[in-house]
Amino acid sequence: MIERRDIDGDGPMSTTAVSRQTRDLTAVELAHVNKRYGTVAAIVDVNLSVAKGEFVTLLGPSGSGKTTLLNLLAGTISPSSGRICINGHDATAIPPSKRGIGMVFQNYALMPHMTVFDNIAFPLRVRKVPAIEICRKVQRVLELIQLPDVGNRKPRELSGGQQQRVSLARCVVYNPALILMDEPLGALDKKLRDQMQLEIKRLHSQLGITMLYVTHDQEEALTMSDRIVLMDRGRIEQIATPDELYFHPRSTFAAEFLGQSNLFDVRVREISSFVGLTSEFGPLRASLPPFAVAEGGSAVAMVRPENMSVLIEGEAPGVLNCIQAVAIDSIVLGGMVRHHLRLADGRTLIIAELNRTNRTRLIGGHNVRIVWRAEDTLLLR
Amino acid sequence: MPRLKARQDHLRISSFFAWLGYFFLVVPSLVVIPISFSTSSEIAVFPHRLSLHLYREFFHSSNWWPTTVQSFRVATLATVLALIVATPAAYALVRYEVRGKRLIHLVFLSPLFTPVVVIGLGSYLYFAYLGIGGTTLVLVFAHAVMISPFVLIAIMAGLRHIDPTLETAAMLMGASRWMIFGRVVLPQIVPALAAGALLGFLVSFDEVVIAYFVTSPVSQTLPVKMYSAIQWEISPVIAAVSTLLTASSLVISLAISLLQKPAWKAND
Repeated sequence: MIERRDIDGDGPMSTTAVSRQTRDLTAVELAHVNKRYGTVAAIVDVNLSVAKGEFVTLLGPSGSGKTTLLNLLAGTISPSSGRICINGHDATAIPPSKRGIGMVFQNYALMPHMTVFDNIAFPLRVRKVPAIEICRKVQRVLELIQLPDVGNRKPRELSGGQQQRVSLARCVVYNPALILMDEPLGALDKKLRDQMQLEIKRLHSQLGITMLYVTHDQEEALTMSDRIVLMDRGRIEQIATPDELYFHPRSTFAAEFLGQSNLFDVRVREISSFVGLTSEFGPLRASLPPFAVAEGGSAVAMVRPENMSVLIEGEAPGVLNCIQAVAIDSIVLGGMVRHHLRLADGRTLIIAELNRTNRTRLIGGHNVRIVWRAEDTLLLR
Repeated sequence: MPRLKARQDHLRISSFFAWLGYFFLVVPSLVVIPISFSTSSEIAVFPHRLSLHLYREFFHSSNWWPTTVQSFRVATLATVLALIVATPAAYALVRYEVRGKRLIHLVFLSPLFTPVVVIGLGSYLYFAYLGIGGTTLVLVFAHAVMISPFVLIAIMAGLRHIDPTLETAAMLMGASRWMIFGRVVLPQIVPALAAGALLGFLVSFDEVVIAYFVTSPVSQTLPVKMYSAIQWEISPVIAAVSTLLTASSLVISLAISLLQKPAWKAND
């Protein structure tokens, strides 16, 4: 993912950079960036480094500051403090028009009075590229987005998905250092969204352009990203790969924002190669967390629904964590079945299992035993 | 369904009064139309014989035609001047948050609230003091001041219609402010510019009070000529002139209302 190819296919642009310092491999670097509006802190001490060619998603609920962060990078707003580097250069004071950034907007932002060709040619004309070159490059990106024949049409004559592809092409055509995307698929329906996710990923891997993608859709973030930056109330909550973020969330917020989770209040009993816990449901074991825990301290333990299973009558739990619960009901979702159970303290527990013959549903009111592995128990801060 | 019937009656009565209102307002100006087709010997609201005599007299007389040309010149120049001033002002007022924005807006609209007599007298005294009183230029300036609020309002409405993210997108693609204004903003507000220009032209072309104050016999406009024609010579040609003015105003108004819908949205 280090190489960055020109859309003309002229070959790798910076293969020699491999031997240089890591600075040269960094597309974006944010250091202690803060943004305040009066007394309201929109962005709080954000540090982030994005490698060249990486696909990074800013994920978070609305109001978490992800769009503000994107606008800080675009330069349409400036930080209250901190430094923003793009391609190794300090860009904090550089105006948006000089940053060499591309941006894809949720409403496509195509010029309604221009044809598709003129829209894509716009950034090239701004750069005073010769007319023949413009023709060649525009045709090339139109083929790249698989819409080779729409050049003479006006944007309003295209569907939403097509318009968004044209708006992507308009970015790609001038080979910006970085493409920012602000919920680009938010206005499309589910089916088209899935299709466009693949399309964007294809363009990304084909061209190797660094992309920073804003979304509030966790599924989209998990599907598309190399890394996810999870944000909450202006702060970065966790930066991790999709797998890491899903199976090793570091906070309750991260665990609850992405997917479903079962949480237990526990007390740390002993620390060895694993962490021994006491809970209302008996002793439990958890893997060692990446942060320090003290014996006797209280903590929150998290288990993903798909890491738990219902113990069949007569089986022995072995070394697994095992607790008692009362079945409420089971919902069959095709290949998956989701069990809802009630714990002794009244909390609801969710288990997701593969749907197999003869063991689909639980009968409401029955006592069942739930088991899961110690390493699937995660301590959260 | 007595309630529905009562509502229908209510509607019928109110629409009757509405039509009565229109009738009352429009008839006095329509009365000139039949008069304009009279012969020179007979001036009547319902002439016995129709003729184009009065129109012929209007187009051929050395009295009327030069003032019409003068009105055209003044209205065109005043409109151009108003567009040059109002377009950047409208852009700034719609797009930027500046200190005292509301006050600036009010100042730009103030010619609307100032009595025309005051603008007329003020212009007369001011330009006389500058030593250029009575020239065409003075009237152009005075009319530009008077019509700029109309042009400003039309352009601001057009600007509020267009999406500001287009300008952000253009900026990120590297376009300069001038390029954004010229290539992104202006082409999109062409209908609003045209509507504003037509409205401004119409207002200036018809304006009599200010023109009466600041023109001299050599820079006289059509409405001023009409006004003095009523006072000094009871010429029936004025009916033909009025009819022509009414017809051209109607055409321009229709054009403005068509322009209210931006061209590229026309078939949505």
